[in-house]
Amino acid sequence: MQDFSFHKPQNLAAAVDTLKKRPEAKALGGGQSLIPVMKLGLAAPSDLVSVAGLAELRGIKVDGKELVVGAGMTHAEVADSAEVKKAIPALAALAGHIGDAQVRNRGTLGGSLAHDDPAADYPAAVLALGATVVTDRRKIAADDFFRGLYQTALGADEIVTSVRFPIPEKAAYAKFAHPASKFALVGVMVAKGPAGVRVAVTGAGPGVFRQADMERALGGRWAADALAGVAVKAEGLNADPYGSAEYRAHLIGVMARRAVAAAG
Amino acid sequence: MASEKEGGTTTVPARPGDEAQDRSFHSVGKPIRRVDARGKVTGETRFADDLSLPGMLHMKLKRSTVPHARILAVDATRALALPGVRAVLTGKEFPVPYGILPVSQDENALCTDKVRFVGDPVAAVVAVDELTAEEGARLVEVKYEPLTTIGSPEEALRNPEPQIHAYGKGNIHRSVAFDFGDVPGAIAGAAHVFEDSFFYQGNTHLPLEQHATLAYLDQNGLLTISSSTQVPHYLHRAASKVLGLPPARVRIIAPPQGGGFGGKTDPFNHEIVAGKAALLTGRPVKIALTREEVFFCHRGRHPVQMRMKTGVDAEGRILGHSVETLLDGGAYGSYGMASMHYTGALETVTYRMDRYRFRGCRTFTNKPPCGPKRGHGTPQPRFGLEVQIDKICEKLGIDPAEWRIRNAVPPDSVTANWMKVGTIGLVACLEAVVKASGWKERRGKLGRGRGLGIAASSYMCGAGHPIYFNDMPHSGVQLLLDRGGGVTAYCGSTEVGQGSDNVLALLIAEVLGVEPADVKLVTGDTSLTPIDLGSYSSRVTLMMGNAAIDAAERARDRLAIAAAQKLGIPPERVGFGGGRVFDVSDPGTGMTFAEAVVRAESAGGTVGVVGSYRPPPPPARYKGGGVGPSPAYSYSAAVVEVEADETTGIVRPVKIWVAHDIGRSLNPVAVRGQVVGSVYMGLGEALMEEQAFKRLPPKLSSALVHVGPSMLDYKSPLTLDMPEVECFLVEDPEPSGPFGAKEVGQGPLLPIPPALANAVHDALGVRVDEVPVTPEKVMAALRSPSRRCGPEGFPVVPWPEALDVPPPWEGGDGNARNEPPRPPKKKEGVRP
Repeated sequence: MQDFSFHKPQNLAAAVDTLKKRPEAKALGGGQSLIPVMKLGLAAPSDLVSVAGLAELRGIKVDGKELVVGAGMTHAEVADSAEVKKAIPALAALAGHIGDAQVRNRGTLGGSLAHDDPAADYPAAVLALGATVVTDRRKIAADDFFRGLYQTALGADEIVTSVRFPIPEKAAYAKFAHPASKFALVGVMVAKGPAGVRVAVTGAGPGVFRQADMERALGGRWAADALAGVAVKAEGLNADPYGSAEYRAHLIGVMARRAVAAAG
Repeated sequence: MASEKEGGTTTVPARPGDEAQDRSFHSVGKPIRRVDARGKVTGETRFADDLSLPGMLHMKLKRSTVPHARILAVDATRALALPGVRAVLTGKEFPVPYGILPVSQDENALCTDKVRFVGDPVAAVVAVDELTAEEGARLVEVKYEPLTTIGSPEEALRNPEPQIHAYGKGNIHRSVAFDFGDVPGAIAGAAHVFEDSFFYQGNTHLPLEQHATLAYLDQNGLLTISSSTQVPHYLHRAASKVLGLPPARVRIIAPPQGGGFGGKTDPFNHEIVAGKAALLTGRPVKIALTREEVFFCHRGRHPVQMRMKTGVDAEGRILGHSVETLLDGGAYGSYGMASMHYTGALETVTYRMDRYRFRGCRTFTNKPPCGPKRGHGTPQPRFGLEVQIDKICEKLGIDPAEWRIRNAVPPDSVTANWMKVGTIGLVACLEAVVKASGWKERRGKLGRGRGLGIAASSYMCGAGHPIYFNDMPHSGVQLLLDRGGGVTAYCGSTEVGQGSDNVLALLIAEVLGVEPADVKLVTGDTSLTPIDLGSYSSRVTLMMGNAAIDAAERARDRLAIAAAQKLGIPPERVGFGGGRVFDVSDPGTGMTFAEAVVRAESAGGTVGVVGSYRPPPPPARYKGGGVGPSPAYSYSAAVVEVEADETTGIVRPVKIWVAHDIGRSLNPVAVRGQVVGSVYMGLGEALMEEQAFKRLPPKLSSALVHVGPSMLDYKSPLTLDMPEVECFLVEDPEPSGPFGAKEVGQGPLLPIPPALANAVHDALGVRVDEVPVTPEKVMAALRSPSRRCGPEGFPVVPWPEALDVPPPWEGGDGNARNEPPRPPKKKEGVRP
């Protein structure tokens, strides 16, 4: 790992300011994505700006018909939150199965979204629930936020502050975890809510994506067997030693049916 | 959630004349804390990477980025110009080849003319700190002329050119053929014939401790290499040879290690290069490998393709068994010749078979070299055999547990390929797991998606021959008794985490009647200790153990004579125990152990003794019969219960019952630890671990690279993946073992992969004839009309003429009928 300077700003404005002044700087959440990448030599930022503990990024609350989760909240905090469990139990359950206990105690919602690992769990929830990503300067709809492999709509000096999740009528997440990393080999989040019926798939492709055929089928009838006739194409899906594209396509069907069944 | 349950200990009734059985013990068999435990749990143990010396320099290796190429030029100009860089070494420094086996001296410490896999070291940079050395290595420029990559055994067979090595036949490293009786004839007369193809994927050791080496010149100019090695003796030989130093001017020290599993059993390039760098710079030089580099060192499980053909009579008795294996050896010889023989050698020691046929072939490929991993060459054919037996039993309607009990090799047999086996706890092991798992009541009745599978196995307690044939001991122990009653034991054995230090202290303490903690140990040091050949082939407990008992008994005899004189009794009446030396017919009369030492020293001078061990000559005399013989064989059996999901194909082990024939447990807690550790490693191989490779896209050089040389990408089970393991120990003291003990470090891994595959069949009715049993393969089997996923055949291999070795019951004498006259035995001959 290359040497870097570490910054711990007192507030959000100072953090943004540091990022603006140092073009090679990176914002650091819980360090569960960026630090491993740096250890592998795939990233070598000149500066790390720690944002996880900033007051502006903390907190969980229900605001009207939305659940607002601070970007600095750890996966464990989200999983254990009474508000989250009440408003969107599927989101609490998803957070409770990210990685392992150590990862959940350090990793944050904002860090996960900004990194946008193609096998991360949170992007599936943000996309399926039609959430809004709030940053230090604007609001970005989930459909506009994810741009493929490790790419998001965020600017280099932009910090995610919170995510606003519309509270759905029904939602559930089902994942087939990689045996070592516990990342999703395939994860499917299904939701029926204010934004309609949405199905988001993570782990299977170069980035999180919506499955339109399944959304149509479930829009017609919300039941696991409504997905029986939906063929999932292997084309464009990831293939690696842990699963071929065909196997991932198969798993998308299985996980989607399980998610719908779990959502009730 | 992982948990361990203590199953029972089955003690086999003593046979007449079995004295070891009747003996009562002070320390043996007691769950005493290991002598090295305190340092391990407090963090005070100093592993190789904990070592540091004033003025120490750091070294990094420049590794090849291409799988197969000629080296045209190595330019170190920019590296040498980097401030802090003290030296750059290249292949020119290392013209002398080396290798663990005398017949495969095919490695250079740094590549001289060619690179043979991505990761092969080309240059070494020595600098004032690790980061500077790393940057220096990046600045070394290497020009390559690419050669065709040989990516698989099939490609190796198809392409004799370009040859990866200048020896062998094309890219076949070596192939062998043996006929122990007429197997085709036996199969022709069989009631049923079974033919199957299997594949066992390669995997790596994954020790938590990465390799590290510190080399320095001591105050007398003696080159000292402290290194995480399981084989200080063989590193001593290789380093002396390559560095051109008399062995007496090189000292190897093996500090305690955080796991080896066979991954530290070769002399390694980084160890020798560090030695050279210390000689060149006059400064201590340290190298600590990264996890990625450990994947490049490898020497792990060979990927093996297998074809097995078995003819049985109407009752399922094996009339003839044929095994063909094709090994993907990787880029160097390593132990590969032995690994290849091991894919056939132990096939006969579990179940009776009248005739046996073995063909083995090892190919070179442009991948990190394969070598010995826990079970060395035997888990692969064991998987095939145990799965095929399951199929035989299914077809014939026989309970596979019953079949195994009925067909177990009887004790004190010589098998078709001339392996001499002594005690065999196989039936007791099978009975223990069958009973505990509820096998008879539950198998086939757990409903769809849940199943039970059984398998059994055997492993050696040390190789019957040393790597370099000679008449010297395989293990030596020296004892020094001091006037204060202290005992210091010196032995070349290497503590890799398996508990060898504990065995050494325990056995000496047992004989001398002192506490294990009172025995001080000096181990794994080629300047201070008698040779022990190393921590491999499960040899340490039996061989070092017998040498330790030999030495301790000699010390005891001297003390007994001196004490007897004082007590006015014959020496035979002198007993040792509780730190005292006493009259056995009047235990209150005696003296302290220290006083007995003083008396012995007064009477006969310094009390220093030596003991040693050399295994008996095995009956196999044919060429190649040197691999497989052992003074004793351990046996294991396991029942695995799985949940298998037919929608995703995922298989989850629910519970494992495992029994191990240990002969006698010297320390039952340590034995159980090894059994459970073996189960864990076996599950990783069975379910997920793969040392797999891929070709980069053409725009990225098309190089053949490891798919994920990191613990993030290489899948291995976590604690949460471990099911409950119930462990049973079968005790039937083995006359050739120390107080009857046999090995436990490797054997209990062997039944796990086949038992799991058999359990998947019980759960879903499908066969996965491949390891690992991945979810995707289970899905493929469920979709296949044959209800099977596995290799569709076996490549065409040009076998050499078979050695014709009649089994003992067909009039043989252990020699081959058609073997050319063998050269007279050399002092240090070549094997196998």
